[in-house]
Amino acid sequence: MSQTSASAPSSHLAHHFVDSDQQFNSAKLGMWIFLVTELLFFGGLFCAYIIYRAWYPELYVAASVQLDTVMGTINTAVLITSSLTMALSIWAAQHNKQKLIIYNLIATIVLAFIFMVIKYFEYTHKFDLGIYPGEYYTYTGIAHEKANIFFSIYYMMTGLHGIHVVIGIGLIAWLAIKASKGAFNSAYYTPIEIVGLYWHLVDIIWIFLFPLLYLID
Amino acid sequence: MSGHHSLNIKVLFGVAGYLFVMTALTVAVAYIHIPAPWNIVVAMGIAVAKAAAVLLFFMNLYYDEKFNSLTFIISVLFLLIFVGITMLDTMFRNDVVPTF
Repeated sequence: MSQTSASAPSSHLAHHFVDSDQQFNSAKLGMWIFLVTELLFFGGLFCAYIIYRAWYPELYVAASVQLDTVMGTINTAVLITSSLTMALSIWAAQHNKQKLIIYNLIATIVLAFIFMVIKYFEYTHKFDLGIYPGEYYTYTGIAHEKANIFFSIYYMMTGLHGIHVVIGIGLIAWLAIKASKGAFNSAYYTPIEIVGLYWHLVDIIWIFLFPLLYLID
Repeated sequence: MSGHHSLNIKVLFGVAGYLFVMTALTVAVAYIHIPAPWNIVVAMGIAVAKAAAVLLFFMNLYYDEKFNSLTFIISVLFLLIFVGITMLDTMFRNDVVPTF
């Protein structure tokens, strides 16, 4: 990172920006454009979901029974709490509370792990029943010839979301390491803000996945 | 408007509380069994209301330059075009059922 000024507030300012506000806003706009591509990335799966639900509405009602509403609800609460801790870490940075930044980032990581552990139990329970995606589907408990399609869509949507959670864990761990070295303060917390945007989008995707997959019937 | 909006901690906890209440509501509504098309409308309405709160107050669109909001809204618009035009095909086929 190029530095021309010795003063603290501008120490992260790259030479091609007028001031750190412009640099911050540019970084955020760049992230928003990335989030647009993310939304359209998930959009393909939402499109598949909508088309098959329009074709086989009775299948979705029958197959959704296999999804555990309690686990889905807990995971929703876990992700909401992790979004809160992520936002609180930015608040902590804005108030120069160094320890609080780290604690909130670690809390976010722990909650993300809890989410993945619950997801692991949900997946393995289905695998035990023979509920695999596509042609590997062997479960006979749902009286519908296209039952495997619902679970193909379920695994693709929650799987892609799960991959995003895992990537998020990595990014937040990176933030926590940087924060432990005192990298962030009220004048500079762009990486937390940017990863935060990513993490909240992952939360929003789940906000839609939860009623669409778990709460049909 | 500056992108460096100083967050209000009460707003953050308030939004989280609102999201918990809305989650409880969407689960409760699912157990009521609202008749066919309206259950989806209600569930998606609650989801949109939750997503809006996250976008506005966790992702700071409420305080940001409006260009970020515009970027996001356009992406939703393109998503609707994508799904809508695809359904103009899939919902009006004579031979509906694909092999998969």
